[in-house]
Amino acid sequence: MNEKSLEPKVSSQTKIIAEVVTFVALATALSYIKVFSLPQGGSITAGSMIPILWLALRRGPKIGLFAAVVYGLVQLAVEPFIVHPLQVLLDYPLAFGALGLAGFFRNRPFVGVNVGIWGRFIAHFLSGVIFFASYAPEGMSPIVYSAIYNGSYILPELAISVYIIFLLHESKLLKMFL
Amino acid sequence: MSFFDGLRFRRVTSPIHNLDPRIKFVYACIIFVIAILFWELLPLIVLFIIQIPFVVVAGVKREWARSMKGAVFLASIIFLTNFIYSFINAGYKVTLPSLEYALAMTLRFLVLVESFSIFFLTTSPDHLGLALEQTHVPYEFCFAFTTAVRFVPVLAEEAQTIMDAQKARGLELEKGNFLKRVRNYIPILIPLIVSAIRRSLELAEAMESRAWGAAKKRTNLYVLKLRREDFLFALITIGILAAAIFIRLYFRIPHLEEVLAGFA
Repeated sequence: MNEKSLEPKVSSQTKIIAEVVTFVALATALSYIKVFSLPQGGSITAGSMIPILWLALRRGPKIGLFAAVVYGLVQLAVEPFIVHPLQVLLDYPLAFGALGLAGFFRNRPFVGVNVGIWGRFIAHFLSGVIFFASYAPEGMSPIVYSAIYNGSYILPELAISVYIIFLLHESKLLKMFL
Repeated sequence: MSFFDGLRFRRVTSPIHNLDPRIKFVYACIIFVIAILFWELLPLIVLFIIQIPFVVVAGVKREWARSMKGAVFLASIIFLTNFIYSFINAGYKVTLPSLEYALAMTLRFLVLVESFSIFFLTTSPDHLGLALEQTHVPYEFCFAFTTAVRFVPVLAEEAQTIMDAQKARGLELEKGNFLKRVRNYIPILIPLIVSAIRRSLELAEAMESRAWGAAKKRTNLYVLKLRREDFLFALITIGILAAAIFIRLYFRIPHLEEVLAGFA
């Protein structure tokens, strides 16, 4: 008992908020490190989604979704790209928020990560459909355009995240720190 | 290397920075609505130019130019698709109306990007958090947002330190094929996450020692209040909206063709 009382007493609520803060900040910091830059402005970052996915797996869906939406808002404030009200909603809070879905699959991290990442892709894809529907001439299929455009720069990033998580999972590192 | 210099906290003051973020948000939304009301080229040009004084007064020309440059790729896609489509429809002829329409669509896109980039360029995250809090967004959310933005440079610096340390141990980041490069980021990611967890404990202690979350009803040291300048800016915004609606309803906007004919 005595040994335990030496440890600082911190309520779990405060601990969780502090974790959300640092992981969102870490994800934002990582999103500035570019591994590869693509010609059309998209880029592949050094796994900037991983801290959020990690937190969702560590703390469950509620905290995961909360952190993911905060991360979306931070991204919006840091690199705003706004062309349509629905597009903003889909591209920021919902797309990044989808990463928090990973928290629903805490027992199977690899599945959870895939759900989160594909959720993000779907949100970006829908926002692309809205974007091209309002700017492309009538008769052009916005779905094809959105798939090509988003696919070209979000898919590599998604693939990298899945690959990194896969490597971490294989080497049992993922379990160690969850 | 200083990829995170742009995030370092700077206190910039200008008449535009000091405006209430809520009013600025309304301004951005109204410009947005007006841009959707018009599909002719001339009013969109006016709308684009109207916003430039705000950028100059706020002193964010360089940042603004950068965000505009980022939009150029998509703008050119919009222009090309619209232009090529009407080019094929018109029987492989370049016509003035089709050119005008393509230009107008591109310009509408640029106006939209411009209006919100002015909002985010002139509103510090602190102000944004304060505005969110005063519009009754849950306090935990606002706190996480503002504190996370403040922590980004700290963690970016740490990422840089870890990268340098691993490089000193012989980790090659810029070598090898794509998959190898990605794999090389793992020895950086793991220490970063471990140190983030440690840092979060430190932060939690600091928060607890200041009795974070003890009081249910919080008060603020700084409170956003509408001042005279805010009302003036709101008036200008409403004026722009009223003028736009008036022109839309009672004027026929000349096409580029007619304007050029008038000059000739």
